[in-house]
Amino acid sequence: MSEESQSGMQCLDFDALLSEAIDGTLSGAELEQFEAHRKACASCGPMFAEAQHGMKLLRGLAEVEPPANFVHNVLTATIGRAATTVQAARPRESWWERLRGGIRPALGPVLQPKFAMSFAMAFFSISLVLNLAGVKVANLRHLDLSPNAIMRGAYEAQARVVKYYENIRFVYEIESRVQELKRATTPEESGPPAEKEKDRKDRSDKPDRKYQNYSREREAVTMARLFDSPPLADQVFARRNS
Amino acid sequence: MDDNQVVASLVRRCAAGDAVAWEEIVQRFNRRIYNICYRFTGSQHDAEDLAQEVFIKIYRTLKSYDTDKGAFMTWVATLTRNLLVDHFRKSKQDRVTDSMDEPITAEQDSISMAERLEDVGPSPDARLQARETQEMVHKALQKLSPELREAVILRDLQDMDYREIALALKVPEGTVKSRINRGRTELARLLSRTYRQVS
Repeated sequence: MSEESQSGMQCLDFDALLSEAIDGTLSGAELEQFEAHRKACASCGPMFAEAQHGMKLLRGLAEVEPPANFVHNVLTATIGRAATTVQAARPRESWWERLRGGIRPALGPVLQPKFAMSFAMAFFSISLVLNLAGVKVANLRHLDLSPNAIMRGAYEAQARVVKYYENIRFVYEIESRVQELKRATTPEESGPPAEKEKDRKDRSDKPDRKYQNYSREREAVTMARLFDSPPLADQVFARRNS
Repeated sequence: MDDNQVVASLVRRCAAGDAVAWEEIVQRFNRRIYNICYRFTGSQHDAEDLAQEVFIKIYRTLKSYDTDKGAFMTWVATLTRNLLVDHFRKSKQDRVTDSMDEPITAEQDSISMAERLEDVGPSPDARLQARETQEMVHKALQKLSPELREAVILRDLQDMDYREIALALKVPEGTVKSRINRGRTELARLLSRTYRQVS
């Protein structure tokens, strides 16, 4: 390789000038000698071709794009905060890329396979429960979610609750009146035979127990109060009509 | 004001504590640094980690940069190269470089491959071929020794001149040229062999 060719250039000189020759910066007599050696030398000719080819392949490699959150990560690691003002040097990105780059740091922990799995399981469970409950998602689109409709629904629900409460109260009061009337019309004698019968059965040495009728005491108070006031049915009807 | 002056001004502002200037430096150089790391390591994940380390190192040592001693990019390339070499040593990914002393035979006609690889047209087939070629070149680049790889990356991918590369790698310009020539030749041979194995 070191032998001098007919061009007067040695292989070592050829090697030293190879870069400049490939760059196209050789000229004059130096270029002529280089070309003559390249054509004549069995080693240097193919080497020139390979080097030139290698350079073309390397320069054909496209520049790769850093990850979307790379600048953000660098700024966070160095100054502790994300980019704020400088956008001039950044190449233009589509709105989707900007959106994705923007939400990725915030949703980074969420965008994990395990979270996606949990989310899928939760979605599946909710769907199953809704299915079993007979709720169809397609029906939800018929819902009127305007503020007026929501307020109207709330008022109607409240009215239904009040009406139900009043009805129940009215029924209980009627029931209570009927029971009072029954007791009032029942003869007093019905009580003692039952007590006598009980006494007959209870012949033990236990001390006598005092049987106190608390319900009757309460009823007496209630009746006293009820007779002071106007009829309850009248009150309820008056309230419902008002 | 040319690009070097703008960068020098940004560096001064950043050294004085201007966070906006630092943001602009990151925006300007992140692609270049990431690409150097990616082409050197061959892995996107490693490239991201290393490029981030490079920026952290730049940020911490920015005050030591002297604008009179060379371009900012040369200084950045030096830091990047040092970190890459450290990473290479730590990971012990010592690649076997094919010997350059092997005689070149008539069979190793990489020219025919060159003609095929360069035939990139607008058709889908051509685009696919171009992409495959890029992948092959990228893989072949990882098989070069670190010295040859860093030299060709800085020259052919980062378009730095020989003097800047010599400063960044701390070797004479002649050595830089020699490594670049060897790197290019080696890459062409590796691809030529790969192509023959595939076809």
